[in-house]
Amino acid sequence: MTTIASAAPMPRALRPVPLARRAFWLIAPALVLIGVFLVLPYLNIVLMSLRPPAVGAPYGAGFTLANYGAALTDGYLLGVLGDTLLLGFTVTPICLLLGYPVAYHLARTTSRWGSVLYVLVLSPLLVGVVVRSFGWLILLSGNGVINRVLLDLGLVETGLQLMNNRLGVTIALVHVFLPFMILPLVGVIQSIDPSLEAAARSLGASRLKVFWRLVLPLSWPGIQAGTILVFVLALSAYVTPVMLGGAQVKTMSVLVVQNLIDNFQWPAGAAQALVLTACGMAAVALYAKLTGRFMKGLA
Amino acid sequence: MNRRAPLSHRVADGFGLLYVGAVYAFLLLPIAIIVLMSLNAGEFMTFPPQGISLRWFGALFANEAFMRAIRTSLMLAAVATLISSVIGIAGALYVVRHAERLREPLRMLLMMPLMLPEILTAIALLFFLYASGIGTRTMFGLVVGHVLVTLPYVFTNVASALYNQDASLEQAARSLGASPWRAFVRVTLPLIKPGIITGALFAFVISFDLFNMSLLLKGIGMTTLPLQLFDYLRWDFDPTAAAVSTVSILLTLAVVVWVDRAVGLRSLRFG
Repeated sequence: MTTIASAAPMPRALRPVPLARRAFWLIAPALVLIGVFLVLPYLNIVLMSLRPPAVGAPYGAGFTLANYGAALTDGYLLGVLGDTLLLGFTVTPICLLLGYPVAYHLARTTSRWGSVLYVLVLSPLLVGVVVRSFGWLILLSGNGVINRVLLDLGLVETGLQLMNNRLGVTIALVHVFLPFMILPLVGVIQSIDPSLEAAARSLGASRLKVFWRLVLPLSWPGIQAGTILVFVLALSAYVTPVMLGGAQVKTMSVLVVQNLIDNFQWPAGAAQALVLTACGMAAVALYAKLTGRFMKGLA
Repeated sequence: MNRRAPLSHRVADGFGLLYVGAVYAFLLLPIAIIVLMSLNAGEFMTFPPQGISLRWFGALFANEAFMRAIRTSLMLAAVATLISSVIGIAGALYVVRHAERLREPLRMLLMMPLMLPEILTAIALLFFLYASGIGTRTMFGLVVGHVLVTLPYVFTNVASALYNQDASLEQAARSLGASPWRAFVRVTLPLIKPGIITGALFAFVISFDLFNMSLLLKGIGMTTLPLQLFDYLRWDFDPTAAAVSTVSILLTLAVVVWVDRAVGLRSLRFG
C-alpha cells in the first residue's frame, strides 16, 4: 500500500491525511455517548456496590464491603441466585433442542414460505416483552386457554397449575429466547456445503452418522454462540419472571429491581447485580473452555 | 427425497417435519392468541371467543391512559431513532471507511449495548444519572437509554450496507471536485439508503417495545405503552389489554413488511 502511494503521488483531492483527521468527528458522537453513558455508568456500579446504605437517601457516604458480605452469606439471597442460575441451565438446553432442528430446516428449505417462516422465528424478538408474556398469561392461567381446552376435552379433571411457578416462567423464557438460538445456528448451517453431506452419504455413511460426524461438529460455533447468548439473557430476565412467576419464582433481576425501586437500597442492589454478573461470566468462561477443548478434539 | 427412499427414512422425515412444525406453532401461539382475544365480542377473555367484534378497540380508543401512553411511546421512539440514526450512520461511515486498524475494536464498542443485559445497563444509568445530578425529572435519561439500546441496530445495518458498496464511487465523485459532504449526500447516501431504512425502522420498533430501560429511568407521572400495559395487567384482565397488544403487534408487522419490500428480511443484521 505504502509503496504504491510513494511510487505514484495521489492527486490532492484524494490525499487521505487531512480527511482522516476531519473524519474523526464522524465517530466522536458515538464515542462520547458510549464512553459517558455506558462505560462510566458500568464502572460506577462497582463504586455504588461499595457504598453503605442510608436512611432517606439511596446510599450513604464512605465505603464498605458489607454489601458483598450480605450478598454472599445470606441464605435467602443465595437461594435466589441458585434459582436464577438453574433457570438459565434449564432454558438453554431446551432452546437448543427446540431450536436446532428449526435452524436446520430454515437453512436448507427451498419453500416459497421461507421468508414467512423467517418472520415467525424473528417474531418473539420483535414483539414487546410485555405483550409476549401477556400472550402466555392468556394461555397458561388457571382459567386460561390451555386449561379450558384440556377440561372441555375431558383430558383432565381439574385445571393444571401452569403458571405462578417455574414451569410457566421456563415456557415463556424458552419462547422469548428461541430466536437468539436459531439465528446464529441458521448462519452456521447455511455455510456448510450441502454437497459435503451428499458426498458422505454416497460413501455409505448412514443419515444419523452424517449428522453426528459431519453436520453437528461443523455447526459447533453456532451452538456455542447461541447457548451462551441464551444463558446470559435468561439470567437477566425481569419482565417474564414477574408476570408468569408471580410471588413463587424470584430471580436475581426481580430482587435487584425490588431493592432499587421499592426498598431504595441501591448499594445492596448493585452488589447483588455484580455477584450475578460474576457468576454468569464464570459459568460462560468455564463452558467456553470445556466446549473449546471439545471443538479442538473434533477438528 | 426421491420416491425410492426407504420407509424408515420417510417416517423419520415425517416426524422431523412434525417436530419443526410444532416449534413454529409454539413461536406463533402467544401472538396469535392475543389477536384472537382482542376480537372477542364477549365481556371477558373466554375461549373459544363469543363471536367477533371490534368493541375492545373502541374501549381502547376511549381509554385516556392508554392513548396518552401510546403517544408518549411514539414520540420517544421517534426522538431516539432520529438521534441514534445520526450517530449510527456517522459512526458506521468512520468505522467502515476510515478506521483501518481500529475497525474491529470500534465495531465491538458500538455493538456493546446489545451484548450487555438491558436491565444492567438501565441500573447503571439510573445510578449514574443520580450521581451526576442529572436525575430523572426530565426525559433526558430516558432518551439516552433508548438511544444506547437502538444505536447498534442502526450501526450494524448501515455498516453492512457500506461494506457492500465500493468506496471508489465516492472517491470518483471527490476527484471530480465534489466536497466530502456533497459526495456523501449525492453518492453514498442513495446507495446505503436500504441499510439506513432497515436500521432506523428496527430501532423504532425496539424503542417502542423497550421495557426495562423505561421502568428504571422514567420520570414521575410519565409512562410508556409497555409500562402502562404492565400496570394495567396487575389489576385488570379484560380484552382492552389484548386490543392494545394487537395494535403494538400490527405496528411491528407493518415495519417487517416494509423492510421485506425494501431490502428483504434476510439481509437484516442483529449482531
